[in-house]
Amino acid sequence: MRYLVLAPEALVLATAVLVVLGGRLGWISRGASAYLPQATALVVLVALGIELWAGATLTTFFGGAVVQDRFTLFTKAAALLTAAVALAATDWTAEDSLHLGLAMPLLAAFGIMVAASSADLVGLWAGVELAAAAGVVLVSLRRPDLGLRLLVVGGVASTLIVVGLAFVYATTGNSDLPAIRDVLLSHAPTLALAIPMLLLLGGLALRAGLAPFHVGVLPAGLGASPLGAGLVIGLVAVAAATVAVKLAAALVPIPAVYVPYANVIAALAMVGGGAAALAVRSPRPRLAYLAVGQLGWVAAGLATHFRSGTAASMFLLGAFAVAATCGPALLGRAEGGEAAIAGFGSVRPVRAAGLGLAMLSLAGGPPLAGFFGELAVAAALAQSGNFVLLGLGLLGSVMSVAAAVGTLRVIYIQSPLEESRRGAAAALPSVTAFSTAGGVAFCLVIAAYGAFGYPILSLADQGAEALGLR
Amino acid sequence: MTLLTIVMQNPTPTPASPAGAGIFSSPILLSLLIWLPVLVSVAIAVIPNPRGRYDTLIKQIAFFTNLGLVFILFVAYNQFESFLPTMQYEEKLDWLPAIGVKYHLGVDGPGLVMLVLSGLIGVASVLGSLNVRERVRAYFVLLLLAQSSVNGAIVARDMFLLVFFWGASAIPLTLLVLGWGGPRHSAAAWRLFGYWGFGTAVLAAGVFTLYAVTGGRSFDMETLLKPGLSPRIQIVVSLIMIVAAATRLPLFPLHGWIRDVLAEAPPGVVVVVAGAASRLGAFLLLRTVIAGEPAAGHLLSPVLAALAVLTVGFAGLAALRTIDIRHAGAYLAMVPGGITVLGFAAVSPLGIAGSVLSLFTGGLAAALIAAVCATLSERAQSRSLLVLSGLAPRMPNLAWLLTIAALALLGVPLLASFVAEVMTFFGAFKNQPIGAFAVAGGLAISAIALAVLLRRVLFGAPNTEAPGVSDSSLNETWYLGLLAGGLLWVGLFPGGPKIPGTEVPLFDPGLLNQMTAGISDMASPYVAPVPTPSPGASQ
Repeated sequence: MRYLVLAPEALVLATAVLVVLGGRLGWISRGASAYLPQATALVVLVALGIELWAGATLTTFFGGAVVQDRFTLFTKAAALLTAAVALAATDWTAEDSLHLGLAMPLLAAFGIMVAASSADLVGLWAGVELAAAAGVVLVSLRRPDLGLRLLVVGGVASTLIVVGLAFVYATTGNSDLPAIRDVLLSHAPTLALAIPMLLLLGGLALRAGLAPFHVGVLPAGLGASPLGAGLVIGLVAVAAATVAVKLAAALVPIPAVYVPYANVIAALAMVGGGAAALAVRSPRPRLAYLAVGQLGWVAAGLATHFRSGTAASMFLLGAFAVAATCGPALLGRAEGGEAAIAGFGSVRPVRAAGLGLAMLSLAGGPPLAGFFGELAVAAALAQSGNFVLLGLGLLGSVMSVAAAVGTLRVIYIQSPLEESRRGAAAALPSVTAFSTAGGVAFCLVIAAYGAFGYPILSLADQGAEALGLR
Repeated sequence: MTLLTIVMQNPTPTPASPAGAGIFSSPILLSLLIWLPVLVSVAIAVIPNPRGRYDTLIKQIAFFTNLGLVFILFVAYNQFESFLPTMQYEEKLDWLPAIGVKYHLGVDGPGLVMLVLSGLIGVASVLGSLNVRERVRAYFVLLLLAQSSVNGAIVARDMFLLVFFWGASAIPLTLLVLGWGGPRHSAAAWRLFGYWGFGTAVLAAGVFTLYAVTGGRSFDMETLLKPGLSPRIQIVVSLIMIVAAATRLPLFPLHGWIRDVLAEAPPGVVVVVAGAASRLGAFLLLRTVIAGEPAAGHLLSPVLAALAVLTVGFAGLAALRTIDIRHAGAYLAMVPGGITVLGFAAVSPLGIAGSVLSLFTGGLAAALIAAVCATLSERAQSRSLLVLSGLAPRMPNLAWLLTIAALALLGVPLLASFVAEVMTFFGAFKNQPIGAFAVAGGLAISAIALAVLLRRVLFGAPNTEAPGVSDSSLNETWYLGLLAGGLLWVGLFPGGPKIPGTEVPLFDPGLLNQMTAGISDMASPYVAPVPTPSPGASQ
């Protein structure tokens, strides 16, 4: 029974490997391939069900290297739900490879699960690298040049992270997160620890595509297929944020070494993301910049270095994961700028509703998931007296919501393009019963996240407590 | 002067329930007012509507939804127990207990006044939108969402909910102006969003400041607005709230959106914006500054008076200068907001009561003047006051309605605004005499602007070169008539209609009676202490 806790990881990894091998070796017939997305999404839902059923068990494996606690439960459930909805909502005719397109989100979700359940520095690094590798694969399928760029940028990020982790290990003499926290309890903040933290946070921000580090990651992600773009701006960023949450919890005895950096990154991301979202008009970059802005809120929650702030960050991260990953997937092939989605609401109503909700949620507009998450972080910022960051965040959110409203206008108020003028760049996503169900599921998740905020935020709060925060 | 007696002589009213009050109670009555329009809008959004086949049905659904809301409101209004100073129809559920957010709704006298206003505005806005022909489904979905968010902001008793609904109202209204507005709709919509978005951010900042200084445990108004905060904190928070309210009401100098929005939005949206959504600004001032922070209310009353003076004066002068009838209507719609704020600045029970009544009368009057100007310009095919002339014989209905709107703005007897303005000015002349005189001066300028407008548009020499004109259609007459009717009804029967020789009101217990619930408690910090005679004085 205890090992049932690991079943979701096993299911997800096995499915990903089978799908890749099946596609490569021709095990799956053309007829069966048509049902592959449904089958894969079903497996992920089963994994989610097992996680929710068995994940409440508190246990450790492999001598404490892997833990199952409330933080793990929350993060794994969020990753699995995101992967399931993204697979269902994707327009598979717009993807470059069905098999890789199905497998890579699963690998990214697996990476998040590894990072979430890891109790040492190596596991954290492995989790984030696994998720990032999945993003590189999907980007490379369409644009090898951008894939290479993402690989190089990822290499830089990885170096920064590894050097930072190595310094933490050297300073504390431990790679185990609880042990690091215990050592730091009697440790004063020193420059020797502050400099590696700068590297570490820089690396994670680069991985997550946070402003100003988005210049390396976002353009690469935007050239990918719809699901690939969602993977880069969504799940990969969530993996980096998960690592950041766990590290922040371990370093909480000496917040002075990371809080100033987190404050700066959060401020730049919230304001910069909102301003950039307002400046661009094309829907996919706008989604990406809105995601940057919301990820800034997550960083702001971590900067409070309190349990309530971390819980609020996790709560927001769940909403972010779903909206940022599924938003580009719902947008589908409409890559030809703003005109491609003109009148989207009348020609593809479910996808349009999903896209609109994703935009508003990422912007922090009421009454959606992102709004509740951002206000929870704002409450934590107010509790910690960080009113400057709170004010900057509110400013960023106003700009973000203005950008989202601009896209809503195009979706619902402008007339659709004539079919004769609709080129490949403005092609409409194909409609299938499965993708429609995925779109509806996405809308329900985003709309219900706030309404069911009580149990979700409570679980996030327990997750923060499990990380040792008080 | 029923209210004058009640408020001045009886800060804690004796329990004297109106006949029939308190018989019916529903645990979800206020939730229905918020979520019923949302559910209907979702239903409208998902029903198939190929090539606009069901446009008429969608309009009917929106109309009957609003009628249903008015029925629920009628029940709430009649069952409201006006002698109770506490919140009524309360709903309280834990929502996000980790940060102290509750789904807490409730309504007191001023809230009930706002709800009645919102109900009337809702019906009027749907009637005023029956001419919409393009993207009917999206229009009515957004309109219902806007109404829902306004209702939510009125009944919210948790500051988190207040920010939520306050911010939410900006989105559908911006989209309505963007999608169905006039030639300059884009600039108007973004101005609206800019000001209201800024106001929402400022409000959120104020709420989080209160949350932090009260210990960060709850967003409930009972906790955040409890007495005992230091005067310095009260002043900071109150200044923040005044800025937020000024963006919404609007007050000079944060009025930059109103001209373009009321001049470009379709008439149904004009009614919602000018009538109910903008009154939320004054309602916020009442809840947070006047009732919530009495020390700051006292100290900042000159600031409020100055804002009222500037707003009314600017509105009158701008209306006098403009040559666009819709701009004139928009500027004149600012006047009631200034008068409401003057009542708050009076920080006296009578002034506050007058302001509460002027939330209702001002909302109706502002909606009426802006909507009449919008409809008239559409029917006359011109907005230019250089073209519009001598229209009274050719559009008698609109001529009457424009006249009633003008009289309502000026507060002439028989209209509800008269009662509100008398109470406001009586209250203000005592504590803010300079402000009251200055506002009266501004009102005089507005009167001149209105007189010039009426003379030129209705009674001037007919312009033979002007485009053809037609009088208002039946639904236009109905929606404008409903607004004018509300002003007349409350003006004629402020205490409810009674059979001569009896004291018990008939089906309407009287807005003036119902609104008193809670006002006494709000006003009690501002009641001047009665000097106690020294023992030897009587001898």
